[in-house]
Amino acid sequence: MNLKISIAALLVFAPAMLQAQSGVNRPDLTGVWGIYRGGPGSDATFRPPPPAPLVLKPEYDKPYQERRARESAAAQRGEQLDNTSARCIPYGVPSMMSIAVYPIEIIQTSKQVTIISEAFSEVRRVYMDRPQWKIEDVAPGYYGRSVGHWEGDTLVVDTVGIKPTVSGYRGMPHSPQMRVTDRLRMVSPEILHDQITIEDPVVLEKPVVYTLAFKRMPADYEMVEFVCDNNREYVDEKGIVRLKLHEK
Amino acid sequence: MRILHAKRLQVALVAAAILALASPVWAHHSFTMFDMTKRITLNGTITSFEWTNPHAYIEIDVPDEKGAVKHWSIELGSPSILMQSGWKFNSIKAGDKLTLIINPLKSGQNGGFLSQATLPDGKTLNNGPRQEPPPAPTQK
Repeated sequence: MNLKISIAALLVFAPAMLQAQSGVNRPDLTGVWGIYRGGPGSDATFRPPPPAPLVLKPEYDKPYQERRARESAAAQRGEQLDNTSARCIPYGVPSMMSIAVYPIEIIQTSKQVTIISEAFSEVRRVYMDRPQWKIEDVAPGYYGRSVGHWEGDTLVVDTVGIKPTVSGYRGMPHSPQMRVTDRLRMVSPEILHDQITIEDPVVLEKPVVYTLAFKRMPADYEMVEFVCDNNREYVDEKGIVRLKLHEK
Repeated sequence: MRILHAKRLQVALVAAAILALASPVWAHHSFTMFDMTKRITLNGTITSFEWTNPHAYIEIDVPDEKGAVKHWSIELGSPSILMQSGWKFNSIKAGDKLTLIINPLKSGQNGGFLSQATLPDGKTLNNGPRQEPPPAPTQK
């Protein structure tokens, strides 16, 4: 009888005991998070620190700067140059984490953390406590392969396998060797920080580090679908983005 | 050979970056094609309201003072952004008479970006929140 009670007690309390043994209570990131800018008067500890400068290797920096100059000149003429957004192509990792005012949704389980961006309905699947593959073994794509683990109260996500045509941070070029590390940590019950580190030994002189801040959306917020099925922008023969008008 | 390979990789990466230079500040495109310093008013009848991504559109027939009708295509934000300022998919419908304040296309064509809509019941709706650039990543 006593043995039965002991086994029953073990079954009931084992999960909690295991968590206690691990020494930490994992924060639950599950929910919808909107971009947090921290306006005037907000708590400075919640505002993200300024980003580290983007330093490209000279052979990549020159064409990058030239491109930026051409973009500025086009904007002065009232024109926008061809780009992925005019073609309605998703942003991929890491840019999808912060698109305009669109929120992200995080669904956290012990085996997988899923991150969904409202813009373009982009999805990152983070497999917990699995080894990362060699970069050359991951099929290049928009989201690559992400694995995660907890370091105390911080969810660390390692992503490789982003193909070079995917929109880069501030339009930076990147090679197949790019590695993105997200460090997600709740700095308060309502504010989440994601410190993103981009390493690319081919393109970058040093890693890029920047932090995004998110605020919990109201609990009843329902994510809105986003399928790009009415893109009226097109790129003309000169590489300029135009708006297709409906004739009548 | 190795130098040649490296050069080829560099060219490929730069080419890839050129297409990828989109600003994540706006989900879809910049507003360069619209003259955001100009506002014009259109009074007309809706021919269709498209609740779509990456943008919603109002198609509207606008008669001039002589009675000649010109057709305009007006771009709005996305449904997600519009919902933040009170729009719904059925806020307006074909046949409704509206007053729109728009930022016109710089090209002079009959198109523009919505600034404010006055609905048949007198209610006014704007075009979603005016975003400031997020703290990071920022665009120069």
